[in-house]
Amino acid sequence: MSRGSLVDVRPSAVALGQYGGGRSVDTLYQQYGRAMRDLVIAAIDAADARGATYADARAVKMDSESLGVRGPRVEDLDRSESLGFGVRVLAEGAWGFAASTDLTTEEAARVSATAVDVARASATARLRPVELVPEPAHRAVWATPTSRDPFEVPLEEKVDVLTRAGEVMEAHPQIRVGRATMDASREQTWFASSEGAALEQTIIHTAGGIEATAVADGEVQQRSYPASFRGHYEAGGYEVVERMDLDGNAEQTALEAAELLTAPECPSGISTLVLDGHQVMLQVHESVGHPTELDRVLGMEAAFAGTSFVGLADLGSLRYGSDLVSIVADATSPGGLGTFGFDDEGVEAQRVDLIRNGVLVGLLTSRETAATIGAERSNGTMRADGWENFPLIRMTNVNLLPGEGSLDDLIADVDDGIVMATNKSWSIDDRRTNFQFGCEIAWEIKRGRLGRIYKNPRYTGITPAFWGSCDAVAGPQEWRMRGTPNCGKGQPGQTMRVGHGTSPARFRNVSIGVTQ
Amino acid sequence: VNGVPFDHEDARRAFQSVAAFEGADDVELVITASTTGLTRFALSEIIQNTVRREVNAYVRIAVGLRSATAATTQLDDEHLLAAARSALVAARASPEDAEFPGLPSPDEVGRAEALFRWDDATAETTPAGRAKVVREIVQASGPHRVAGAYETSSHAYAVLSSKGMDCYDAHTRCVVSGLVDTTAATGWGEDSSYAAHEVDAGSAVARARKKAESGAGAVSMEPGHYEVVLEPAAVATMIDYLSYSGMGAKQVLDGDSWLAERAGKPVAAPEITVADDVFHPTSVGIGFDFEGVPKRRVPVIDHGVATGPVTDYRTAKRLGVSPTGHFSGSVEFGPYASHVVVGGGEKSLEDLIGEVEDGVLVTRFHYVNVLDRPSTLLTGMTRDGTFRISRGEIKEPLRNFRFAQSVLESLDAAADIGRDLVAFAPNYGSFGCTVAPALRVSDFHFASTTSH
Repeated sequence: MSRGSLVDVRPSAVALGQYGGGRSVDTLYQQYGRAMRDLVIAAIDAADARGATYADARAVKMDSESLGVRGPRVEDLDRSESLGFGVRVLAEGAWGFAASTDLTTEEAARVSATAVDVARASATARLRPVELVPEPAHRAVWATPTSRDPFEVPLEEKVDVLTRAGEVMEAHPQIRVGRATMDASREQTWFASSEGAALEQTIIHTAGGIEATAVADGEVQQRSYPASFRGHYEAGGYEVVERMDLDGNAEQTALEAAELLTAPECPSGISTLVLDGHQVMLQVHESVGHPTELDRVLGMEAAFAGTSFVGLADLGSLRYGSDLVSIVADATSPGGLGTFGFDDEGVEAQRVDLIRNGVLVGLLTSRETAATIGAERSNGTMRADGWENFPLIRMTNVNLLPGEGSLDDLIADVDDGIVMATNKSWSIDDRRTNFQFGCEIAWEIKRGRLGRIYKNPRYTGITPAFWGSCDAVAGPQEWRMRGTPNCGKGQPGQTMRVGHGTSPARFRNVSIGVTQ
Repeated sequence: VNGVPFDHEDARRAFQSVAAFEGADDVELVITASTTGLTRFALSEIIQNTVRREVNAYVRIAVGLRSATAATTQLDDEHLLAAARSALVAARASPEDAEFPGLPSPDEVGRAEALFRWDDATAETTPAGRAKVVREIVQASGPHRVAGAYETSSHAYAVLSSKGMDCYDAHTRCVVSGLVDTTAATGWGEDSSYAAHEVDAGSAVARARKKAESGAGAVSMEPGHYEVVLEPAAVATMIDYLSYSGMGAKQVLDGDSWLAERAGKPVAAPEITVADDVFHPTSVGIGFDFEGVPKRRVPVIDHGVATGPVTDYRTAKRLGVSPTGHFSGSVEFGPYASHVVVGGGEKSLEDLIGEVEDGVLVTRFHYVNVLDRPSTLLTGMTRDGTFRISRGEIKEPLRNFRFAQSVLESLDAAADIGRDLVAFAPNYGSFGCTVAPALRVSDFHFASTTSH
């Protein structure tokens, strides 16, 4: 086994001095770095001694802060630190994994021994040995670029922004709950493998959002800004929140929530549908991201998450959408929740085409599944929720590439249609074809102009037909990196943060509001 | 006791490091820990196999009307004190919260009894033992592909505070699930209990295989309103969303709950009783909430009538009632009904099917979500065994439906209740259990169909 120093810095990695507003990575790692490096190396050595044919170990320190206010009151102010490590091994052609919070080299040896025992047990119910495609043994340090470390911003400053927004919203008599939230996470990972990989990564995500809940006569309506489900998430520092102007948008958010109480139901029928960028994000996530995960395609997730309508024979031929639909998986996108230097089996971040001009051309792969289909290299999508989980194929940043024009241009070309904004609910079948989405708000379009608002807008579709009906994608001026922090998959259930760069898009002949 | 993740004395020792933390008026320490072995299989072989030990300690600091929580995965003095310092800084940075009721004391809310749903053999199951069960599942699936998971785990919980809380409880759990795929159709079966010896993997897979082998040649049926028999897994999913849509007092106080406008009114057929009841013999859980308040059985729908929400210490104070022991751990979310039980009837599943002239049998649902919380309107898909029922017999397999259906309307239209209660473990996390029977529902809305 090859191991050694972890100090090599890749040319593309962030300069150490830029991290954390001038603090060096070495300073940040001072408390844990040496111990974590020793831990993962001890784990690899122990796995080797027990007969593993491959091993990797990840030690993770995840710091997070979650702040939630309602009106002028702080409801939740939680800080957490999660420290632990996991060891993944191959023995007798099968996987074993074990994890612990006890950060001693003795425990590392015990956990590695357990992982090997688990692998040997797996081998008794294995039809074919696991094979991995090769990957260079990278040795590097990588960190999310940030301007302002969210953990260094005084709590008083955060509380002040949120309570001001909460108070503005709850000043409206119809707003029962005006909630404002901020979340920040810093995940430091120390990775080593029996192939000689040695990686250190620091990934920082920051989020903020507000939501106004209006209640009257048994009717409940909600409006969120900039996004629903605890707001907008992005890789970066506190500058992400500062760009949002949360309190400056509280008044409009509250007004729209109140207006929805008396708005008519969104009409049902076949119509032209324009989706805002946030809803396009969910559409891409559910109907493109998940169906193109190769483990789903192969049947490995059949029991829980489901499979996919996509088959291996469809690569290069399946008409997934119109010519305007081009989608990539890009782990290098600035600001993405799926942006990193290396995935959780040490594969370098990549950008790969999934759909090119409407045709399926790629799938999300791992070292194991790439070998299964005869690919030469994994495209680097194995990600684990914390130290305690086995990595799975997950979306990185699955982005719809921008087209042309503005949202106004998309609307101007519609004689009679609907605009829907901000995801509210989602559901899709186990092969990712039949879907239904709901949004917080809709506006009618008449002769190219926005009209009245509608409440409870929903639409349904079948994946390839829906993307085939896409006749416009707005241009770069409307394109934003967005993200969802709660993508669930796997057993035990893992929650992953994934990114989606999207702009508004238009779809013709869509079934709207048909579930009632 | 073998294999317990930590014991009561471990928790007391940990609490001593922060019990008198300087600057705090009160201190609370919640510890959760688990050891979980989970073996996943697909394509008739083991694909992932994990063993993990987890510990989480949550230190809550109260200073006057301010409070905050900090968590760590380490139980040593250094990390617990660091968490206490972090929580104190956060609490001091917060504005006063006039609704903060302080920490509960056992003198006021009572002392919880440990339920200790524990089985040594389950806690001691080895990777080889789990692999043996998987091999038996593969064998029982015959020529068909099978996918699923077999899990054995042990969990311990403690709540200690400067107000005198000193609670400890532990439980084990075993869960098996299997999806049999004939390539023409799929079928599903699952089972769970606190003890592995009560989990019948063979029967679960046999049910899955029978459904899969009966499912070839599925035909499309027009969407619309049908009489249905929902098997327990489908009922449990709907009940989970009924809980999520507002069985907690915080949601009721916010007006964002189906209970908000319906307390005291009939909402379901008179035979329907839905209660949060961790004491039910098939449920798996502990005897207190995450503030140490003893759990009580709370009927939320009592013989068809909506009754009260579950409460935690904070919302109980606002309502002027005694807390029912349902703090979720989040003030933002409030109390949560995590151990819901739907009362059983007197008929077998076959009896329920036998009473349907023309309808649909649903094995389970997939990817359900809330469309409208106040009306409990849900959407989702059927999967892994949807069949037409004609003249009391299961007939042709059906392509899957998307449904759009209110949970309360389903309970109101419940014509019969199955006698066999089945316990379901949560899909995410390890805390909670839903116990449900099969239901015959006279009117259920399928909105669209799909190609498989």
